[in-house]
Amino acid sequence: MALKTGEQYEESLRKMNFKVYLLGELVKKPVDHPIIRPSMNSVKMTYALAHEPQYEDLMTAKSHLTGEKVNRFCHLHQSTEDLIKKVKMQRLLGQKTASCFQRCVGMDAINAVDSVTFEMDQKLGTEYHKRFVKFLKMAQENDWTIDGAMTDPKGDRGLPPSKQADPDLYTRVVEKRKDGIVVRGAKAHQTGAINSHWILVMPTISMTKDDADYALSFAAPADAEGVYYIYGRQSCDTRKLEGGEIDVGNRQFGGHEALMVFDNLFVPWENVFMCGEYDFSGLLVERFAGYHRQSYGGCKVGVGDVLIGAAALAAEYNGAAKASHIKDKLIEMIHLNETLFSCGIACSAQGHRTASGTYLIDLLLANVCKQNVTRFPYEIARLAEDIAGGLMVTMASEKDLRHPEIGKIVEKYLKGVASVPTENRCRVLRLIENITLGTAAVGYRTESMHGAGSPQAQRIMISRQGNLEQKKQLAKAIAGIKD
Amino acid sequence: MDRTKRIGVKYCGGCNPRIDRVKLAQDIIQPLPPGFVLTEASFDEPWDIGILICGCPAACAEKPELKSLARNWLIIAGETIDYETCSETEIAQTAAEKLKKPF
Repeated sequence: MALKTGEQYEESLRKMNFKVYLLGELVKKPVDHPIIRPSMNSVKMTYALAHEPQYEDLMTAKSHLTGEKVNRFCHLHQSTEDLIKKVKMQRLLGQKTASCFQRCVGMDAINAVDSVTFEMDQKLGTEYHKRFVKFLKMAQENDWTIDGAMTDPKGDRGLPPSKQADPDLYTRVVEKRKDGIVVRGAKAHQTGAINSHWILVMPTISMTKDDADYALSFAAPADAEGVYYIYGRQSCDTRKLEGGEIDVGNRQFGGHEALMVFDNLFVPWENVFMCGEYDFSGLLVERFAGYHRQSYGGCKVGVGDVLIGAAALAAEYNGAAKASHIKDKLIEMIHLNETLFSCGIACSAQGHRTASGTYLIDLLLANVCKQNVTRFPYEIARLAEDIAGGLMVTMASEKDLRHPEIGKIVEKYLKGVASVPTENRCRVLRLIENITLGTAAVGYRTESMHGAGSPQAQRIMISRQGNLEQKKQLAKAIAGIKD
Repeated sequence: MDRTKRIGVKYCGGCNPRIDRVKLAQDIIQPLPPGFVLTEASFDEPWDIGILICGCPAACAEKPELKSLARNWLIIAGETIDYETCSETEIAQTAAEKLKKPF
């Protein structure tokens, strides 16, 4: 079964035994919980579209390991064309869900772990890559959603892992046994964790000899004994408990993050891909972050497409579509959004082969891409709010709109253009609210800022990759400066 | 008895090089060991070994039409050689060692 259907994916999650806490309670059936369910629907879309002929070219790939058709989220990029198709697939899914569809983090993790374990084995004589390929074949065969887990809680940011007051603030090995390792710690902000079949853990920073116990990469079932989750709150999340469909803005889709806790998790050696090789932790972080910074040049663009469309509809429903400043604002939103896409495509087109054969993006351009993502969605959101008008945040509730007595009053006074039903106006304004400051703003705004690394992380990489010396030589040549 | 091996060099276009491509070629070619001769490119008689020197890892010049110029290739792309990381100062030495080994 190389390609699961959406229904098969949902069914596979139902068979898992997740331990999830949400709003102070242990969740019995995460798939059916109204706060969690929309995020599951987003991941489900990554399975459903793979079966649609009109999306097959982007959503699937031929496995270089087995020759079988696999979901692109389980594929190792074998060319720059694969890297480009990845970005286009992400834009497509952003358009279809207007949310974070969560599965990118695992795709980026498998691609990073593949090339780094290969190079570790070459240099150190270890056998991590062989183990990893075995794991990946299973992932492709079973069409797993994998949660790439990198970010540790980190405690005092001024101290390395081994100097923290609480040693669990970075995920670490607490015991090495003949048959495997025991792991303790946590991973924060884990996108899609409760919609994943497996976890692929990676270290979070460059490390030194003192931090060897923290230089750790491994895979584990997402519902393994010794793993539990504390679900992250989102702005306006309890609107999903009200049972309506307008006030949530996006009734069907969403994203989620959770705190993932390892409480003496046992991992057999066959699923361990780094254990103490601190020299390689920085390389793994750099490559995973690079891939994930590329990802944002696709997914955020797709959500941006929906937001721009919603803003244009709001302008029409408000009767302002012909105003020149509205047209200009929509042009600016498109310009910003396509600039992000350009960066995603550029860092893919300039990608290159690594020693394992897997292709890596151009790291400089991927970091430029993400740096723009830390800014442009904010401006696009600002312009959408500008066009939408203040009603977006002062509007009466769906229950008031449906009320037998005051419903008519709400209908009358929230009317825009006469030919447009008031309900449609409410729906599009709630969608804009959802993306700019509701549950989806987690993905579209703050994740754009901090996901795949905060802005300063990209600036450090841009500084390292920017080739300033060559630029100085170019200037000297033109200016006639001879040293 | 082994015949003299014909060797040649090709460059990428050099839009944004992260290594000094020309100096690198000189560093590889000048101490070329006995048994190698540097020749011009010819589609009629492919090189035994081609050395492709690209300024960055994208290796944009690595294309099928170019690769028909030689039977075997050494690919230098930014600070990589045959897709493995190698600092600029070590590329020439690493290339020389690779040339001595059978392809």
